[in-house]
Amino acid sequence: MEERFEPNIVAFLCNWCSYAGADLAGTSRMQYPPNVHIVRVMCTGRINPLFVVNAFQQGADGVLVSGCHPGECHYREGNYHARRRFTLLRELLVFTGVDRRRFNMSWVSASEGAKWREVVREAVEMAREAGPFEQFRREMIGW
Amino acid sequence: MGIKTKTGVYVCHCGSNIAATVDVEDVTTFAARLPHVKTARHYPYMCSDPGQGLIRQDIRDKGLNRIVVAACSPRIHENTFRRTLEEAGLNPYCLEMANIREQCSWVHGDRSGATAKARKTVAAAAARARLLEPLQQKEVPVEPAVLVLGGGIAGIQCALDVAGAGFTVYLVEKEPSIGGRMAQLDKTFPTLDCSACILTPRMVDAAAHPRIELLSYSCLEEVSGYAGNFSVRVRKKARYVDADRCTGCGDCARECRLAGRVPSSFDLGLGRRSAIYRPFPQAVPAHYTIDRQRCLFLTKGRCGDAPPCVQVCSPGAIDFEQRDEVVELKVGAIVVATGCDLFDPSRKPEYGYRDYNNVITAMELERLLSASGPTEGSVVLGEGEDASVPRDIAFIKCVGSRDKSAGSEHCSKVCCMYTAKLAHLLGEKVPGASIRVYYMDVRASGKGYEEFYDRVRREGVRYIRGSPSEIFQRGSRLVVKVEDTLASTPLEDEVDMVVLAVGLEARGDAGRIVDMLRLSRSADGFFLEAHPKLAPVDTAVDGIYLAGACQAPKDIPDTVAQAKAAAASALGLLSAGRIKVGAEVCVVNEETCRGCGYCVQICPYGAVELAFSERYSHETALVNEVLCKGCGACAAACFSGSMQQRSFRDEHILSQVAVLGSKGKGDQV
Amino acid sequence: MDLEKLRAAAGNVLSRDDIGYLIGWGVGSYGFRTAPLFLRDAGEVHRLTFSPLCGSNLAVFLTMEYDVAAPAKGAAAKERIAVMVKGCDSRAVVQQIVERGVDRERLFLVGCPCEGVVDPGKVEKKFPGTVEPVRAGWENGAVVFWTGGQKVTLPGEEVLSAGCLDCSHPNPVLADIMPCEEVKLRRLAAREDVSMFEQKSSADRWLYWKRIFNTCIRCYACRNACPLCYCSDCLLERLSPAWLFRSVNLSENAAFHLARAFHLAGRCVECGACERACPVEVPLMLLNRKLAREVYERYGFQPGLDPDSPPFQAAFRPDDSEEFIL
Repeated sequence: MEERFEPNIVAFLCNWCSYAGADLAGTSRMQYPPNVHIVRVMCTGRINPLFVVNAFQQGADGVLVSGCHPGECHYREGNYHARRRFTLLRELLVFTGVDRRRFNMSWVSASEGAKWREVVREAVEMAREAGPFEQFRREMIGW
Repeated sequence: MGIKTKTGVYVCHCGSNIAATVDVEDVTTFAARLPHVKTARHYPYMCSDPGQGLIRQDIRDKGLNRIVVAACSPRIHENTFRRTLEEAGLNPYCLEMANIREQCSWVHGDRSGATAKARKTVAAAAARARLLEPLQQKEVPVEPAVLVLGGGIAGIQCALDVAGAGFTVYLVEKEPSIGGRMAQLDKTFPTLDCSACILTPRMVDAAAHPRIELLSYSCLEEVSGYAGNFSVRVRKKARYVDADRCTGCGDCARECRLAGRVPSSFDLGLGRRSAIYRPFPQAVPAHYTIDRQRCLFLTKGRCGDAPPCVQVCSPGAIDFEQRDEVVELKVGAIVVATGCDLFDPSRKPEYGYRDYNNVITAMELERLLSASGPTEGSVVLGEGEDASVPRDIAFIKCVGSRDKSAGSEHCSKVCCMYTAKLAHLLGEKVPGASIRVYYMDVRASGKGYEEFYDRVRREGVRYIRGSPSEIFQRGSRLVVKVEDTLASTPLEDEVDMVVLAVGLEARGDAGRIVDMLRLSRSADGFFLEAHPKLAPVDTAVDGIYLAGACQAPKDIPDTVAQAKAAAASALGLLSAGRIKVGAEVCVVNEETCRGCGYCVQICPYGAVELAFSERYSHETALVNEVLCKGCGACAAACFSGSMQQRSFRDEHILSQVAVLGSKGKGDQV
Repeated sequence: MDLEKLRAAAGNVLSRDDIGYLIGWGVGSYGFRTAPLFLRDAGEVHRLTFSPLCGSNLAVFLTMEYDVAAPAKGAAAKERIAVMVKGCDSRAVVQQIVERGVDRERLFLVGCPCEGVVDPGKVEKKFPGTVEPVRAGWENGAVVFWTGGQKVTLPGEEVLSAGCLDCSHPNPVLADIMPCEEVKLRRLAAREDVSMFEQKSSADRWLYWKRIFNTCIRCYACRNACPLCYCSDCLLERLSPAWLFRSVNLSENAAFHLARAFHLAGRCVECGACERACPVEVPLMLLNRKLAREVYERYGFQPGLDPDSPPFQAAFRPDDSEEFIL
């Protein structure tokens, strides 16, 4: 039997909502696939869209950005900035032929551990369907 | 980096919480081979005293200068381990936590998958740790004064507590007198104390306190600065009465040409006053104020041959030349105690509040019952020969509370009890009156509340469960159309008077306060506390606290309790004398900054400004580290990467992405 | 387009005491190219030209001036710089003003209404191997060339830059003087390049860009020609942290183009100078126009029109669309 493709996903999470939500999923012992690797930032507003491009270059098969629900940003409006930036970045990526399933964004609050689990499952499933990302992955010659 | 990086990696078993799912030995062996890692260990409980001791020992013995702790979430133990580093003489910001519990061992059942993820998480943490810089927390002195916004019972209590502890208080009230909502009440539940009798002494105390500066008839204009050092501009509106000369004798009001012709807003329009007035007899300060919208001299330029107020005022206190005055204050903390508005029942037209004189609000009834109110305490319907005493009286509860269709979903908390109180008082005033209360639920949680509610029912007040659908007139009487939901019987109840138990809602001008203070509001429009359970008095803005009904509907005891809590919080800040500000703030590389100002636009705290750089001969961004909260939104917007967030620099995040994005298990990094 | 009028006006401008120098287009020395010209002397205005060959956006030089050490604060104000601007160039200046890259007070804008500039790729195909300097002009909506002693008239569609064919601002949106008459807005062709491209499958889109990104030699001519790519120290060329590796390959080139396009989102004024500067015909404007369309359709924003508008990338609305959020 052919081995199932296990995508590698980099997730950028804000400290106050989504990271706390992911912690809650842990405290509640919710199970989800281990394909998502988390980078904690204080706010989604900190996430430079070029980090996402860089993650794809490094070989991520999918990227997820998750923050507080609109109106609930710990810093009042960082997620609003993020929403605009990533809406445009996603359009740009899709326009150049990157599968739209590879880049996702979600709002997960500190009390939404279950939602975090669902988001992870969904993101992993989508990246799995999209397959390994090869398009502009950086060829590494050991460093 | 001048000094060679020597990283220590500490993998925690957390008993079996981690070790049962993650192969901690494997992760430790793996970590030991990572670049710049000098030592890697695992231990059953890293956060225990011996666990922390291991780290401290290694820092001293092996000269470690970066520490990675692979354990639980940084949200739990980051501060613990930062202290560990500090105790061993290492800068606390040289710590990086790898979360292998909440986001690894607890959520992945598969041992090999969890171990692989833990490896990668540790590798990313080590890569990032290498680039972390030692940071210092700044300390700034605190201005030893508090601004209290709002002179209701919350503001008064808070001001008294702060001043009592020896600090200066500026108590700002927009009305001519302090006292707020409580001053309008007749009696208070459940003890039936006379509201004025218990409030007035506090008002006088506040005004007389040597450390409380009372700024009545004043409003907030501008706030800048940060916890410990706020600059505030307050506009003192012209009263056209010299406060130093006015004795409060009231001759002016009696002689005013408009005497008895101006509706009194304190009495909700039920009573009349003059154009020169004080809102109520026990007002503090006691001096008079000229209503600039009504005064003939101020609106028309002349008042007969001469304004009578000027003529009769023997101390010569009337001063039409008086102008608004803007004062600048420096305070260390701000307590917001701006209170609430009452639901306007004309938003529920089916109750006919606008159409029928005998449909009144509970607050109007308070004024009617008050001995110092417009009717001196008598409840009479109609005027002159038609005057009659109401025999049948219906209360309707939850008007503008728990009512999605009226746009207010919240429970106003006080209506159940004030309804019981008013029903009781009416029963006293109008012996033999038949009083019924239409309700959906009765919430009587509070000390002595249930007992009081029980007493009122025993006194003969009938509670009928049902939410009236309509009020209409039949002859000279009113009909309440309702279904008694317990008896499943439709009723048409004929009454003489209907009292609407209107709810509390956020002040109409709350938005202005939110903008000036950079606060947030919850969905119900009230000011948002920092945490609903654990920080109900704090706000998201350090140094700004909430007290009373501006945060949520509250009765007097809760308001006073919160006011005292707000005072204690403000005092905590003030008495420390100095305040620490975050270290993980943003910083500009002046050399590459173009001064485009995107960061200035983006910063929600006004922490970035453009300043002329002598060295580069043009404007560059400048971060006020005290104002910066370290969100990093400016850094993400900076095209040239000149704006960076300490501990979250581009290179920090890129180093993590490089490890986490790679296909491997982190082992080739 | 009356060149003599323009030169006379330029002479007047240069005679003014407050003007330091004028940046304009000069007759080129090679084929269809013109050269930027920096004039201080009113007597030299005969060297100025304005024609369909003036494709470079001179606003690019304004931000370079910014790098020249300015006198310390409080010293006398510096001289003003006069610059010739086409419609699109003036929009770039407006955007520079929004981003505080230039000081409006120090600029004197000589507006040059424009009927479109040639696409170097198209004219190279029409007149292969032309080395001798060519003169060109607009005549009744067509473009005329004088080359090899002959006058050749060609319809705009055949030689103008694609962006010029549906130009929305042929006349400057900001100018201190406008020596020549305004031209009429005329859309020669409605461009549907973005929506056409979107019709392709994801795989086909990538095949296209893969070829393009592989072609790119990362000479950065596009960046240097762009009046809004003005960082003195480009993030993407920095060694620490290294956002991009220096190697020229598919991965780094793709990341470069994505980053470049993203940085111009809500800022690009669609002058097309980048594309005309590209030696290997990378369709840079296709990426720029895609984002410009998204910014306009989603957020109703068009850059380079209002000097007082907040910069797009620093703004948001609480009710911005969010259809893709999980």
